[in-house]
Amino acid sequence: MLFNSFEYLVFFPLVFILYWGINNHLKAQNLLLLLSSYVFYAWWDWRFLSLIILSSFIDYQVGLNIYRAVSEKIKKRWLLVSLTANLGLLGVFKYYNFFAESFTDLTSTIGWHPNDLTLNIILPVGISFYTFQTLSYTIDIYREKLEPTTDKIAFFTYIALFPQLVAGPIERASNLLPQITTKRQFKKTFFKEGIVQIFVGLFRKIVIADTLGIYVDSVYGNLEIHDASTTILATIFYAFQIYYDFAGYSDMAIGSAKLIGFDFKQNFNLPYFSTSLTEFWRRWHMSLSFWLRDYLYISLGGNRKGIKITYRNLMLTMLLGGLWHGSSWNFIIWGCIHGLVLALEKYLNSNNYLPRLRNIKILGFLCTFSVVIFSWIFFRAQTLHEAITAIKNIFDADFSIPFLGDLTTLINAVSMLCLGILFDAFLFKKQIHLEQLGANFSTPKIVGTLTIIALLIMLFYSTSNNFIYFQF
Amino acid sequence: MNREHIKYLLKFISIFLVVSLIADKLIFLTLNTFSDQVYSGQSIGKLNHYLKTKDSVDVLIYGSSRANHHIDPKYLSNSAFNMGIDGCKMAYPTTLLKLLNTDKKQIILFHIGIDYAFDENYLGEDIKTLNIKYNRNDDIKKEIDRLNQNNPLQEIYWSIGYNGMLPGIFKNYFHPNYDYKTYNGFDGLKINKKQQSAFKHELDNSIPKPCDDSYILNPLYDNYLQEIKSFCDSHNKTVIFFTAPTYSDECKTDNQAMQKIMDNMSLTYYDFTDFFSSDSRLELWKDSTHLSDTGAAIFSAEIGSLLEPVLKQLN
Repeated sequence: MLFNSFEYLVFFPLVFILYWGINNHLKAQNLLLLLSSYVFYAWWDWRFLSLIILSSFIDYQVGLNIYRAVSEKIKKRWLLVSLTANLGLLGVFKYYNFFAESFTDLTSTIGWHPNDLTLNIILPVGISFYTFQTLSYTIDIYREKLEPTTDKIAFFTYIALFPQLVAGPIERASNLLPQITTKRQFKKTFFKEGIVQIFVGLFRKIVIADTLGIYVDSVYGNLEIHDASTTILATIFYAFQIYYDFAGYSDMAIGSAKLIGFDFKQNFNLPYFSTSLTEFWRRWHMSLSFWLRDYLYISLGGNRKGIKITYRNLMLTMLLGGLWHGSSWNFIIWGCIHGLVLALEKYLNSNNYLPRLRNIKILGFLCTFSVVIFSWIFFRAQTLHEAITAIKNIFDADFSIPFLGDLTTLINAVSMLCLGILFDAFLFKKQIHLEQLGANFSTPKIVGTLTIIALLIMLFYSTSNNFIYFQF
Repeated sequence: MNREHIKYLLKFISIFLVVSLIADKLIFLTLNTFSDQVYSGQSIGKLNHYLKTKDSVDVLIYGSSRANHHIDPKYLSNSAFNMGIDGCKMAYPTTLLKLLNTDKKQIILFHIGIDYAFDENYLGEDIKTLNIKYNRNDDIKKEIDRLNQNNPLQEIYWSIGYNGMLPGIFKNYFHPNYDYKTYNGFDGLKINKKQQSAFKHELDNSIPKPCDDSYILNPLYDNYLQEIKSFCDSHNKTVIFFTAPTYSDECKTDNQAMQKIMDNMSLTYYDFTDFFSSDSRLELWKDSTHLSDTGAAIFSAEIGSLLEPVLKQLN
């Protein structure tokens, strides 16, 4: 079920009414949340529900076993069980075909052509997200940062809670589980913040991202016939498309969660205003980047083992971060670019070059934006060949008038994009987080804001595409 | 949640509904006044133009971009209008045709895209282009509802009908694309070198279309063909169906199946798919399914001579 669908428009108010109707019964409320989350997921494909349930079962039990383990060895063994089970499922469903194909390609270079090893596997929606979520639970228990819960319903709800189930934010158990196990109160502040964020998210997704997507798809679907200016324009548009698509999704997720009394962590904080790539990763898909930092980068030694190991850890983290997004060489290259630039920034910082340049903020902004845009080429292109074609187009430097496509669609897209950027600039200048924007609004101000957004959506929405991050 | 919270929520929802509904109607009425005066541009101008002239012209051409860019009405009659619209298949043109409300003798040229006619997934989505008139024309509303292509929210929020059309409306209101009084609905495609090389690239990389053994007419097409026939019979219209030329059509079984269907339904049908099979000049084409203005002129002249006897009868 998509947040921007009629099904959700019926589903959510129904859950909302039932949920707050049984406010005095925490267990029943959690059970309702669990069942409605399963319905929400099953709407896409009920068969893969079994994977979530299996994953939840394993980690619930493993969590308890780690906590009760009498020795470090046993603790480690149980952690391994969790890692193997979760990463195994992810590996089979997400990476098996990629590695099988790469293996076949490699062996064919030495003249050995094995039979087709690939399998007809469908990628279950959200598997990358809930796998990381369950992993954080067992790892935190192993690190003794968290005590396991004995409330099965609460734990299963933590894994499956519908606002964050299919595309995050990747919520840590330390933040979400206590909220599930304690009685929630309806708060006007949460309601105001949530409703504003849902509307802004909807606008970002179906007005900005989806209209930009029309142009991007038409160019990237036929890269061979386009020149430098068109490819650059399409890539810049893609940068905003993916941002507004995913940030919009996160807004709707966080907003929906607030309406049922949950406070999710922020997932996007105006990333394109960053003046370094390091800062970018503190603002972009924060729940993933902080997860990678805490569970991968730090586990590898972080920056505690000398500068060379730090560079290696940065590269490895970003490569695996790239691979997390999808099983293709494009994502690995994307991660590699980010890893390299992050390592370069670390080098410049440690040698005191960067602080000297830091006064020229516009330079940092331009460099960061350029690197991010360039790397998005690999993210958007369907194949490595397509990415190379796009880069070739750009370096051919044929800067004629770009292909404009349907002019009305383009004008709609550009004008709404400008509105989106202006709104983001306002938030940036005023140092306001969207998550708290509605908190101090009076009822007339909220109604006015929502009416304006609703009218803009009605007049400018585009036929909805799936969320980009659903494929990850 | 206590009583106070419920009161707050109900109050909030009520105020939002009232305010947003009032704002929606104000926007809708304001946009109506602008859009009603727009007669140029594909989004609304051409539709307004059609609604204004539909009952006064002798010849009307309906269909998709392949009708719009292929038949120049000036080769048929001085009183002809081409209502072909990009992306429109069957539901949109049939709905417009059924809006003809006089018994004036008229010739209808109706384009049939064979691929679309045999597309089992076609559900009449092209009728959404008429959403702008959803809350202003009962016949259009009924047709959109019948095909389940309505946006349920549009029942209460009428501005949705103007979705995606604002730039086009304002642009054509303040600065019309052309003088509609001299416009006959035909939009010839002028081809530049870039487009020509794109077409060449398309041909070089084209994969031959697979040819099926059997073709089943989409039920909507079936239904609409019968509706058009009975509507035209009872309203004094002569309807001629046709399929526009295609560059190098290798599969013939679908054409034969279409011809058979039309014959069985006793409909007049001309299949011009291979009209240019003996002329391989690339400058006649924009792409494999769309003629350039040069190609369209040749094709329109042929249609003109074909229709000459029928037109003479009309006069």
